[in-house]
Amino acid sequence: MDRVLELKDFNVTYKNKTKKVYAVKDINLTINKGDSLGIVGESGSGKSTLAMAILRLLPERNTEITGSSNFANKDLVQASEKELKEIRWKELSVVFQKSMNALSPVHRIGEQIEDIYRVHKPNARKEEIFDRIKALLRLVNLSERVFKMYPHELSGGMLQRVAIAISLIHDPKLLIMDEATTALDVVTQGQILEEIVKMEQTLDVTRIMITHDISVVATTCNKIAVLYAGELMEVGYVKDILKEPKHPYTKGLLSSIPSLSGEKETLTGIKGHLPDLSQKYEGCIFAPRCEHAMEQCGKSKPSETQLTGENRVWCHLYSQSDRGEQLDISKNLAEVNR
Amino acid sequence: MKKYVTKRVLMGVLTIFVVFSINFLIIRLAPGSPISTIMGKDNDDPILRAALEAKYGFDQPLILQYFIYLKNAVTGDLGLSIIYNKEVLAIIAERLVPTLLLVLTAALLAVVIGTFMGMYAAKHEGSRVDVFFSGISYIFNSMPAFWLGLILIIIFSSVFGLLPSYGMISSRTTLTGVDYYLDVLKHMILPVSTLVLVEIPIYFRIAKSSIVQTLNEDFIVTLKATGMSERKIFNKYVLRNAILPTITIFGISMGYLITGVALIEIVFAWPGTGDLMLTAINQRDYPTLMGIYLIMSVSVALVMVIVDIIYATLDPRIRF
Repeated sequence: MDRVLELKDFNVTYKNKTKKVYAVKDINLTINKGDSLGIVGESGSGKSTLAMAILRLLPERNTEITGSSNFANKDLVQASEKELKEIRWKELSVVFQKSMNALSPVHRIGEQIEDIYRVHKPNARKEEIFDRIKALLRLVNLSERVFKMYPHELSGGMLQRVAIAISLIHDPKLLIMDEATTALDVVTQGQILEEIVKMEQTLDVTRIMITHDISVVATTCNKIAVLYAGELMEVGYVKDILKEPKHPYTKGLLSSIPSLSGEKETLTGIKGHLPDLSQKYEGCIFAPRCEHAMEQCGKSKPSETQLTGENRVWCHLYSQSDRGEQLDISKNLAEVNR
Repeated sequence: MKKYVTKRVLMGVLTIFVVFSINFLIIRLAPGSPISTIMGKDNDDPILRAALEAKYGFDQPLILQYFIYLKNAVTGDLGLSIIYNKEVLAIIAERLVPTLLLVLTAALLAVVIGTFMGMYAAKHEGSRVDVFFSGISYIFNSMPAFWLGLILIIIFSSVFGLLPSYGMISSRTTLTGVDYYLDVLKHMILPVSTLVLVEIPIYFRIAKSSIVQTLNEDFIVTLKATGMSERKIFNKYVLRNAILPTITIFGISMGYLITGVALIEIVFAWPGTGDLMLTAINQRDYPTLMGIYLIMSVSVALVMVIVDIIYATLDPRIRF
């Protein structure tokens, strides 16, 4: 399968004179063509940092990115500003969370779209741009009238649709949606998510969906990556993980969601808070909040464990290398699976 | 847009009317009267007093005086100055040009220089130049303008003898043509510099902070993500958004300048409305004082309306 994006030992550190914050740590992740990967995690888990770092949009003055991020035969971590400009929007585009602020409030939407279109096609004729954006607007169920309007004249949902249309203007290979529907009401969110899924049947685009809402991933993604405190906990197919989560954190996340049908049950959630990311931890970063924490969880970081297919988990409960404590693990496993 | 402009203009007229009425009352509430000034300290002849009061209309009830004055003012007749015995409008017109020359030159220079400094500092935030600009802007901002004027006179006129310290034209000369204008220009340097130096910090800080804020807006990040050149993003999108607070401040500061320039005019013996106003206050010259206040409120209202219209053309969210 074609690889679109491949992250290897990807680290993002925020730093100032006195302090370092390890926001994203040792991410190894591959996204194949046609995939739609949902990256989930609670606030502060590093989801947006990861997206912004892939896009190289973090201020260079106080961030440090190491590892590699291979996209379109280039390592985006090492790419020069000029190389990035070539890739941006043509190959890699993004939709941000705050649709209300995604466009300049004092310029007409059409003018902004024209400018964005001309970044890669400076000599494009007005009609060509208009035809292109008209088709895209139709794709997201908007009338071409918005071309002449100002952002404040549109609702949040409409603006989000405009932002999605703009992101597709040059047929990007990879589209990153950073909490793209979070600020919207559930009805509008549902509509837009439906449109996205429908849209992709006709487009050749690979998508990363960053969200804290697991239900968004359930409806629009085929793969999921669970992020906690900047580290990957579990990666795999949505259908497997939602049905049978392996990592205790994923289980916790799923148990925090109320279900509409079925028997009445108590939502458990996950006790405790995110750790202080300016510290480096010896063991598993989730151990202090984990119900199944064992002795070794505080001592060593769990390594990647390959499960069935492309599913992977980072947890000592499943570690192959710790066979010595097999007995212990199976006891724990039994408990986890209960 | 048409409706908006009409509304702004009507608001301006209403403002002028309210200011006019309040001024009329306040001046008359102050102790002393122009009649006492004309009669002098030692004279207390009731017949003369009555005659003078009748001549200038002070024997009428206050409310009637108000309406008579209002009616005349609307037709452009601001009455006779009690002290100069000349048309108030003519006296003010003569003094208004020097004041406007000072105010407009200073305001335009300050907004241009201050904004450019702010732009530079915002682009190079944390650099030495930024730190220097910020520091010096606090120093000048905390100086009283008249004091700065005096210091400039000491430095450039007294010590170095480079520039004239008072007036608008050199005395005992009959310059014409280019020489005349150069002479005026030379006289303008110190008072204009004083005003510019105290105004720059305001524009510098507002420009810098609003550019820095705009640079962190989501749409700027989006535009960067599209691969648009930094220059285009800055010149087209950042500036247009960041200039809005500067325009607001320009309006407010113009209002302050028009009225506050009086002190500077007195320091530099500039033949403007400030000096005229001070004499009028001391002599209780009601008609002249009312005239100056009226002209000032009209100027301020006019500037505000213009600023509002500029703002509305730049920011579509304002129009309604």
